[in-house]
Amino acid sequence: MKSIRVLLADDHKLIRAGLRLVVDQQPDLSVVGEADDGRQAVELAKSLKPNVVVMDIGMPNLNGIEAARQIGEMDPGAAVVMLSMHSDESYVLRALSAGARAYLLKDSATTDLVQAIHAVAEGKSFFSPAVSKVLLQDYMRKLRRSGAEDSYDLLSPRERGVLQLVAEGKSNKEVASLLNLSVYTVETHRAKIMQKLNLKGVPELILYAVRKGIIS
Amino acid sequence: MEVFSQVRELGPKSEGGWASGKLRLTLLISFGGLLALMVVAGLEALRLARQLHTQEEAIRQTFLAHTQPLLFLSTSIYIYNDRIQEYLMSQEPQADGLTPEEFSRLTAEINSTLRKYPENRQPEERALLESLQQMFTEQQGMLNPVLLWSREERHKQALHFLNEEVLPQRLRIHETAEKIGLWNNQQLVAADREMFASFAILQARQTRLLAIALTAGLVLSLASILYLLRLGEEAQRRYQELARSRGELEALSAQLVDAQETERRSISRELHDEVGQSLGALLVEVGRLAASVPSDNTQIKDHVDKIKSVAETTVQTVRNIALLLRPSMLDDLGLIAALEWQGREVSRRSEMEVEIQSGNGAEKIPDEYSICIYRLVQEALNNAARHSSAKNARVTVEQTANKILVCVFDDGRGFDPQRVRGLGILGMEERVRRLGGMFTIDSKPGGGTTLRAEFPLSPLNQERP
Repeated sequence: MKSIRVLLADDHKLIRAGLRLVVDQQPDLSVVGEADDGRQAVELAKSLKPNVVVMDIGMPNLNGIEAARQIGEMDPGAAVVMLSMHSDESYVLRALSAGARAYLLKDSATTDLVQAIHAVAEGKSFFSPAVSKVLLQDYMRKLRRSGAEDSYDLLSPRERGVLQLVAEGKSNKEVASLLNLSVYTVETHRAKIMQKLNLKGVPELILYAVRKGIIS
Repeated sequence: MEVFSQVRELGPKSEGGWASGKLRLTLLISFGGLLALMVVAGLEALRLARQLHTQEEAIRQTFLAHTQPLLFLSTSIYIYNDRIQEYLMSQEPQADGLTPEEFSRLTAEINSTLRKYPENRQPEERALLESLQQMFTEQQGMLNPVLLWSREERHKQALHFLNEEVLPQRLRIHETAEKIGLWNNQQLVAADREMFASFAILQARQTRLLAIALTAGLVLSLASILYLLRLGEEAQRRYQELARSRGELEALSAQLVDAQETERRSISRELHDEVGQSLGALLVEVGRLAASVPSDNTQIKDHVDKIKSVAETTVQTVRNIALLLRPSMLDDLGLIAALEWQGREVSRRSEMEVEIQSGNGAEKIPDEYSICIYRLVQEALNNAARHSSAKNARVTVEQTANKILVCVFDDGRGFDPQRVRGLGILGMEERVRRLGGMFTIDSKPGGGTTLRAEFPLSPLNQERP
């Protein structure tokens, strides 16, 4: 079985040790390095070429979000699992914008970490159930108070299908072959979804999908 | 900070009242005194002028009263003598007109004129008059027998009598009358001289009074000027003292705000790094323990689950405290994200929906402004959610080339900013002012609230990342 190479980045040794124990217990996962701060994480990612980087959002020198952005620019093959104490939209959206594919709350890191690493290694997204719950609650509250209708109802069944696949991290080509459509048609659907839901870019689309519970 | 603001509001008012009261009194005394002096001097001058005028009038009246009867007398005597001469020289048996009746009429006229002469006679004057009267009586005595002369007698003796008796007597009478006139003139000159003398005395008195008034005025105005200068210096000194102590208070409160932020940051860091991480590690360990417990041993599994749940709650509590002390998102994500988070936090806890709008450059706001703006918005949103029952709030943050502008609007019930000034508002004002910014609150009961903070940016600040 092909082993997934994992790099751990957290400025707290105790946390890193705990995470390492969890990862090392899995036969198909191996920790190839540990970083103390964001800058070291970027350097190690460059030299060790990990498949997955598990990174704390708040780190000295260079924070997790900036580090994720730099790693993404340097090596698109390395997927980032972001660890954070906050379930707030600001963090989730910025982590996604920086290229992270999974977002875990530190509280539930041990429970969800293995699942998250597997998901991002396959090119999928993963969010802690607690994060999805908070995002959905915020979204519902806003809808209720503003009295607006749920824009999800505006989407056609085909568009909903495209939304889910895009949110899961599939490229236009993959979506086209999965749904038996031309790439051009998929692009048209994507543009319409963005317009109907008033979204700007894939990170917001993923966030939307998480809120709606379409992906987790 | 409450106390500081009271000092600020009361200070200048009482200062001004003190200075203006003393100033008013000084001006009243000095200029009132000067005015009084001038009025006194003027009245005195008027009185003296009137007195002089009266004196002059009296002298003129006296002179006229004396000279007029004299003139009349001279004329009467002249006529009298003329008539006598005419009579003596006449060849007619009964001389024209000069009857004993007419003679006695002329005599009576002269006598009455003499009596008309004013009674207030000087001794010298009286002597002259008496001699005049005597001469006239003598002449009468001399003439009385002549009137009884026959034509022949008259013809024979008239010339001789005229030359020897009448003319010399007439000359003497005239001389005496002239003397009286002369004496009167002398009296007039003397009175004039006397008046001039008294005028000179009056003038001197007037000059003296004027000099006194001027000197007093000079002294008074000098004293007032000195006093005013001293008053001004005093006011200036007090103002500087006040400004200095205000500056010190501002510096102190700025230090307090700074110290508070630093302290909060270090406590938050401590909580996050030490307590938070230990608890995090504890959670990881408990998680591993839970995984290693066989699923059929429910008793131990329950215990482990309980420990886990307590640890999770504790982690959450510690995290909330740390966040309240120092929002880590400010360091992790920047101001706008932190404000968005804060807005959602308020929305979750209250019935108010918060919208954050950020303009260009809002992501690059320097750190010291970020924390100030964050605290400002936090306080404003909490106030709005707690007191105004607003349904919506909007926060806008913009950064232009030379300033940062922050506005917080809410559609709540509003208040009167002139009357309601809590510690929260004062705190916001203090924070903004510390960075050289301007803080305004626009609100009225029933009309929502708009809070504005404007920070000027120096070029130095803009270059910083």
